Amino acid sequence: MKVALFIPCYVDQFYPNVGINTLQLLEKLGVEVAYPTQQTCCGQPMANSGCEQDSKEVYHHFVDTFADYDYVVTPSGSCTYHVRKHYDIIEQTPAVQKVRKGVYELVDFLENILKVEEIPIDFPYKVGLHLSCHGQRGLRQANASEITGDKGGQILTLLKKLKGIEITQLERNDECCGFGGSFCITEEAVSARMGQDRIADHVRHGTKVLTGGDMSCLMHLEGIVKRQQVQIKVMHIVEILNGSQP
Amino acid sequence: MSSREKILASVKAHKPALIDLPVIPAFEGDGSIEKFKTVLTGIGGHAIEVSSKTECQQVIDTHYSDLKNLASTLVKATVEIDTSTSKDILEQVDLAVVEGVVGVAENGAIWVPEANMINRALPFITQHLVLVLDKTNIVANMHEAYKKLDTIGNYGAFIAGPSKTADIEQSLVIGAHGARSMMVILY
Amino acid sequence: MNHPALAEKFAKDFNRTTWHDETLWFVRQKRDRAIYPIPEFQELRTLASQIKDHTLSNLDNYLLQFEENARKNGVKVHWAADGEEHNRIVLDIIRNAPHIKGRTGPIKMVKSKSMLTEECHLNPFLQKNGVEVVDTDLGERIVQFRNEPPSHIVMPAIHLKKEDVGETFHEHLGTPKGEKDPQALTEAARQHLRQKFVEADIALTGVNFAVAETGSFVVCTNEGNADLGVNLANVHIACMGMEKLIPKVEHLSVFIRLLARSATGQPVTTYTSHFTKPAEGKEMHIVIVDNGRTQQLGRSDFRNSLKCIRCGACMNTCPVYRRSGGHSYDFTVPGPIGAILSPNIDLHKYSTLPFASTLCGSCSDVCPVKIDIHVQLYKWRQVVSKENELPAVKKWGMKGLAKMLAMPKVYNLGGKVARSALRILPHGMTHAKGMNPWAKARELPDAPKQSFKEWYSQNKKP
Ligand code: SF4
Repeated sequence: MKVALFIPCYVDQFYPNVGINTLQLLEKLGVEVAYPTQQTCCGQPMANSGCEQDSKEVYHHFVDTFADYDYVVTPSGSCTYHVRKHYDIIEQTPAVQKVRKGVYELVDFLENILKVEEIPIDFPYKVGLHLSCHGQRGLRQANASEITGDKGGQILTLLKKLKGIEITQLERNDECCGFGGSFCITEEAVSARMGQDRIADHVRHGTKVLTGGDMSCLMHLEGIVKRQQVQIKVMHIVEILNGSQP
Repeated sequence: MSSREKILASVKAHKPALIDLPVIPAFEGDGSIEKFKTVLTGIGGHAIEVSSKTECQQVIDTHYSDLKNLASTLVKATVEIDTSTSKDILEQVDLAVVEGVVGVAENGAIWVPEANMINRALPFITQHLVLVLDKTNIVANMHEAYKKLDTIGNYGAFIAGPSKTADIEQSLVIGAHGARSMMVILY
Repeated sequence: MNHPALAEKFAKDFNRTTWHDETLWFVRQKRDRAIYPIPEFQELRTLASQIKDHTLSNLDNYLLQFEENARKNGVKVHWAADGEEHNRIVLDIIRNAPHIKGRTGPIKMVKSKSMLTEECHLNPFLQKNGVEVVDTDLGERIVQFRNEPPSHIVMPAIHLKKEDVGETFHEHLGTPKGEKDPQALTEAARQHLRQKFVEADIALTGVNFAVAETGSFVVCTNEGNADLGVNLANVHIACMGMEKLIPKVEHLSVFIRLLARSATGQPVTTYTSHFTKPAEGKEMHIVIVDNGRTQQLGRSDFRNSLKCIRCGACMNTCPVYRRSGGHSYDFTVPGPIGAILSPNIDLHKYSTLPFASTLCGSCSDVCPVKIDIHVQLYKWRQVVSKENELPAVKKWGMKGLAKMLAMPKVYNLGGKVARSALRILPHGMTHAKGMNPWAKARELPDAPKQSFKEWYSQNKKP
């Protein structure tokens, strides 16, 4: 099993720690991980802005970078979703097909490929889970409230294995945080308001640590937490799973 | 080319290749009288069970003795209504008692065909409405309901509870334009 | 004005935005409670979607079948290529009605909810031509009094508070000043509108579903205003978009089960009325309208937006709609579905609507006919960009970004420069509100000294 690590561009630049934790966790679990250093980005920022055609060269670069691996693991549901769903506009060569199939969001990889059962970690905090829409509704990693009242999902399953953890019961379990890529700039007013409302929900219900599978949502939410000086620590799920404490 | 021809030609040119029509499977569900009554109550109506249709008169006498203008062919009427009754008489109707033919347990709706309405406007213009229904005609869901109706006829309506609106701040108000109250007599 | 500007204006009133969001979320929750207990709900969505797909793929034949059956029923069928023709047809029907022709004095029409007539701007047209039009749905009457468009397709006055309605009714119906009790206000409207129903010459309704096999159509209301209007007037005009067709009566069951539950969380609307033949001595007309629909039918990426049954659930669930209000879309149908219908009508005017979304996908999951709304939003963005409707800054910025991201060396350097700038520049500059919209309400992330890649090269490379 040849596994490569993909660290999305904004994680690489702003949250290197998330990358480091991902790498360490996978190694801890006995996976030999390669990190092809010519990697850049999955192309989503341009595509979501309507410039899918321009991002084709980024798609090719991504495929060239990872074509040799069975799995491309990344701590981002959003990038995974983009590669799987939107790389359909370039020619579907065997390499493209292989990469699209092999790209995995980290938690999905842990649960469904590595079949991780135990996580021997104490985490005695009240944890609020922010579901990224691309992970949840895009990759179906968690149930959607539009479809069922059952709130189950992959990250929740893992979190529940941590000792001492308490999960926040939110009023709105899966409302979007309002990041939305370029949306957070072009529709600043609504974007900010959505994020503020998510944070308010967490504050009302006692979240001490806010986590999730997508750093982009968390970057936006952390920006609000810091501006409002709310006492919540924002951590990517991989930081928790790799043993970091708030 | 007329618009009709233009539109049809354009549809023909633009439609995709034929996609199959699915078969609707038989969906089962709770078709009990209890379920029907619970749902009906939930949507602002209410039901009374009697042992025979002849008891309707008594129920009306007990519950609606204060209402003056009563239109019906099932119980004693005080205003005469037919298909050509004028609007100003229809407007005066306080209570209409008519018979429904199929009740739907999942949503509390009752099918009232034109023939039972006496006048098409009656079930809607009356201040209060009573629908009489044979309780063996309650089915579980809409699929069964349409199956049970041989035809939808010239005109007919599923009526579920009293007229209502929530157009002002989502607060539910019973009695928008149609009946202010709705009772079902199950026999 | 574009969506971001209108949305910003709306969101400025913090408390009112909270209220608007919560009111619609409440409807979404009612919808959830109505659908969770139904084990086959998801299957019904699939069926509804397939029935509509099938119907669209055979639409010309179903239209012909519908027309033939409706004619046999004594209904007059008219065809309108666009909104203008639709309006002219309606006016002709009115003027030629036997009880109106040659008569002088005002002509009175009552109208139940029809988004199509909003789309065609029928009301102002008829009023200009001497027809008094009264919208009889309570919400529509409220916005008609206020001279505003509806802000929601199911709850037209959802943007208004009861105090606003109280003011409006005080002005137009003479309710006591300060009266804001919904019960009392509804009662005032009831009295006022009953008069209008009785006086009306003509009743106009929309169509929720049209059945090809019988030539019938179904209209759903809670208030009873459609039936009341139609059954008291001499002429009934029903206006329908051509996509309202379904093949058979048995298919109604699927849609009726989905519609009200999705729309308001009710198990069914109070009145689900089936019109097939006019009453003795009365007239019934159906106007079938295209107005851009055949064009949409030809766009394979966007075709299935025509499956919409106008339940409004995508609006109630949309976190953007809830915080920007229906009027921020400036289109007859607001919200997610409006954002994929409007570019078909006028790409330039509505070019910001496909971007008024985070692509969270909630709309697609809530939609009873499974329209892939968020996928179409994404696709419309590509069209907007291709047709040169993107703001230049964005377009060239994206081109530059793409170039950079395809070249690892340039990317690495660019990232380094940006991070250093963030670290070195004072907070007041990096967070300047005018220059950096991000920073209006959010802090930027701390800029680390090293990127992951730099860390990796130092610590991991063999
Ligand atoms: S797109 Fe779907 S959810 Fe939105 S109004 Fe239409 S049917 Fe309802």
